[in-house]
Amino acid sequence: MLSLLDTLAGIVGPAHCLAGADRGPFVVEGRTPSVVVFPGTVDEASHVVAAAGAAGVPVIPWGGGTQMGLGAPPRDGAVVVATRRLARVVEHEPADLTATVEAGITLDALQAALGAPGQWLSLDPPLPGRATLGGALATNASGPRRYLYGTARDLVIGLRVVGADGALVRSGGKVVKNVAGYDLNKLYIGSLGTLGLIVEVTVKLRPRPEADRACWATFGDVPAAAAAVREVMASDLLPHSIELLDAGATAASAHATGLAADGAGAALVLGFDGLPTTVTWQLGAAERLLRGAGATRVAVLGDATAARALAVVRDMPVTAPEPLALARVGVLPAQVGRYTQEAAAAVREAGLGLLAAAHAGSGIVRLALTAGGEGRGLPTTVKTLARLRAEARILGGHFLVEWAPLAVKEEIAVWDPPGPAVRLMERIKAQLDPKGILNPGRFVGGI
Amino acid sequence: MALSESDTRRLRPAFEAIVGRDGVLTDPHELLVYESDGATIFRATADAIVFPRSTEEVAACVRRANAEGLPFVARGAGTGLAGGCLPTEGGVVLALTRMTRIVEVDYDNQVAVVEPGLVNLHLSQAVAPEGYYYAPDPSSQLACTIGGNVANNSGGPHTLKYGVTTNHVLGLEVVLPDGEVVWLGGKVRDGQGYDLVGVFVGSEGTFGIATKIVVRLLKRPQAVKTFLAVFEQLDQASRTVAAITARGLTPAALEMIDQITIQAVEDAYGAGYPRDAAAALLIELDGIAPGMDEEAERVIAACRENGAREVRVARDEAERALLWKGRKAAFGAYGRVSPAYFVMDGVIPRTRLPQVLRRVDEIVQAHGLRVGNVFHAGDGNLHPNILYDPRNPGEVERVLAAGAEIMKVCVEVGGSISGEHGIGIEKQDFMPWIFSEADLRTMAGVKAAFNPTGRCNPGKIFPTAKSCVPGEIGYRPHPIEERGLAQRL
Repeated sequence: MLSLLDTLAGIVGPAHCLAGADRGPFVVEGRTPSVVVFPGTVDEASHVVAAAGAAGVPVIPWGGGTQMGLGAPPRDGAVVVATRRLARVVEHEPADLTATVEAGITLDALQAALGAPGQWLSLDPPLPGRATLGGALATNASGPRRYLYGTARDLVIGLRVVGADGALVRSGGKVVKNVAGYDLNKLYIGSLGTLGLIVEVTVKLRPRPEADRACWATFGDVPAAAAAVREVMASDLLPHSIELLDAGATAASAHATGLAADGAGAALVLGFDGLPTTVTWQLGAAERLLRGAGATRVAVLGDATAARALAVVRDMPVTAPEPLALARVGVLPAQVGRYTQEAAAAVREAGLGLLAAAHAGSGIVRLALTAGGEGRGLPTTVKTLARLRAEARILGGHFLVEWAPLAVKEEIAVWDPPGPAVRLMERIKAQLDPKGILNPGRFVGGI
Repeated sequence: MALSESDTRRLRPAFEAIVGRDGVLTDPHELLVYESDGATIFRATADAIVFPRSTEEVAACVRRANAEGLPFVARGAGTGLAGGCLPTEGGVVLALTRMTRIVEVDYDNQVAVVEPGLVNLHLSQAVAPEGYYYAPDPSSQLACTIGGNVANNSGGPHTLKYGVTTNHVLGLEVVLPDGEVVWLGGKVRDGQGYDLVGVFVGSEGTFGIATKIVVRLLKRPQAVKTFLAVFEQLDQASRTVAAITARGLTPAALEMIDQITIQAVEDAYGAGYPRDAAAALLIELDGIAPGMDEEAERVIAACRENGAREVRVARDEAERALLWKGRKAAFGAYGRVSPAYFVMDGVIPRTRLPQVLRRVDEIVQAHGLRVGNVFHAGDGNLHPNILYDPRNPGEVERVLAAGAEIMKVCVEVGGSISGEHGIGIEKQDFMPWIFSEADLRTMAGVKAAFNPTGRCNPGKIFPTAKSCVPGEIGYRPHPIEERGLAQRL
């Protein structure tokens, strides 16, 4: 290993190479990297990956470290390539509504840089103060505003990635419409770094809305809230977010924001943005609709409270205190209510606690399993996750164990069993990373 | 054509057994009808056209083609503008025009499942009574098919606000090039694994054949306002485009039409465009009604500040429809001013619009030709339509040369060589202008994963000279090369 370490230190400078005890923060599930490097330029990142690949040592990309527990545990002795120093805004042409930035920039830093000319990237994944743009793309992280604005695949127009052989590869371009060649942006996004290390991103932007407000409504139970969601989706309203919270998430949100929950069985947070006239009208119409749908309380939130409420909900359930496991479920929007109820029943029977927050208009349910106060052990967690997975799959959906302690991950698969399309995935991986250098063994199908 | 007459006679019954006796064309007169798509400058003849009616028939035809070592390519309505569905190596064309069903509409979840031969506009029309529509609206939507839209990642005027085809496709049932049928994605979002749907959309038929498409449906907006802004200088119109964006407005559509096009359109349809205008902008806002008047004022102000002589607002749905007819049927109207036209497709940052339009004019004039511009100004997606007469000796060559120079300008200002029509045959040799060897090698690797033999729509997208795709069947000179305008390196 010594010669690879020397090579890497030669590329990034010894000050940006961590070995020994300094690697502590970069240990994942007991797997220790051989070295952690912090390239300062895209070219350095390219050389680093080339060197690791030549030595046959796997590379683990590291952005803000907010989702390193995603997937199967990493290989021991890998080279962690941390993108923290790749944080520049390379280009921002406000009149074109596009920007090119290095992938190690955090979401908050990016939005601050774009905010000066009154623009923003309409992507709101959890923990934006720590999560990097590259990491958000690699995990296809998203937030409540996906309902109106889409996810990373709808916002990224170009990427530069470091391929498995260290070559810098470009996909897409810098213009908002582009069909030249294959849309490899779509492959890299959500690929967990297994096809390329994202180092530079070009995105399309939006003008900052003049008004951005929300309303908070509590309901007796999840089915009532879900019925209200159906009405919102069928109406003329154009919310940017439709978040459905179960009893646990409602209580947690109320606690974090000071909003009233009164022991409600469920809550909705609807966000609206645009011209003040439009937002005011929509809030009024939403309030009428929600009351008509049986909401026990409806509050139209002022600017600051609205922002806080959406941020709290956005960061659920990652911020749940001491979760036993975190899961991410995909079902149809019309099944969100039913699935959340079934999950609640399963968790209750197991003697555990639940916190569920759903992007209700998109069918994405985020779950945190918590200790139920009866001291149930790991077997109960594993059994409950398995049951929650089965319930999702019966509905035709999918279930991801987003985070769990290693002992749990050793008993239950993180990913669903892959379908027949996995052989296409394997062939793509074999073409782009034949030596298995990029984040190997962590992804769907063991890729 | 790859086959001899006797081979074709031998194979005919094999395909008839799959698609029925009335589902196979092999007669040379019939094959002629399918020798080009909308870019009639490119021609290629198939050995057979087959008309499968189901996924199983598509798969069986693909397996039969593989067994015979024949290349194959799917075709929708043939409205493509880059020669993407041309059988340049001969073989079998699978025309999907008999697969037109709407399999399912799920209003609760705002999705539909459709067959590839369904005409784009027919989908919107089918869900209109419930207040829904399918957003990607290419100007050819009266004829083009959803399957073709998937292959090209088609756009249209409303993609400015709503995105292109890939932003509206959630799942695909695909017949892979080896004949296996597989589902990619589905009605449920964020499926685990690589986004195979996302990379399939826009792959121009080289990754397989989509036999079912899961699409998003949108609710019709509460309100819509359509404007026609009239300018006496082309420059003023192009500056207005950036000015509108600078005011924080996101129009649903922002289209530009120049004088040559306006005059042709007025001759053909009398859509109410002013014949003496140097250029017009067709602008549309949609969304929530309260607040739309404010947005409209900002649009009008942006137009006037940049010299608009007049800004008209459509007073009702009939006026709106007429304005859009003028825009969407513009290509067809060119027939009044020229025997032929070559539709170009390039995209640039919208701030470069004034400069690039001037360059386009210079280039076209330098080649002794005329150009009509009608395009998606809001996206920077240009469609300079070069007007020409193919009967004049040397004119086709000048058209292709002017086209190549225009593409070069797009690349020089940081744009791309295709905004929505695709690479196909037309631009494959321009790919190295925007992609490096490593970039093209990576794309070739992904193609090899889907299409290892290369038999599925060969000869497209990649440069002909240096194609590194395995299994390419035979080298075929690009039309530009045949005319001595380009050479292999």
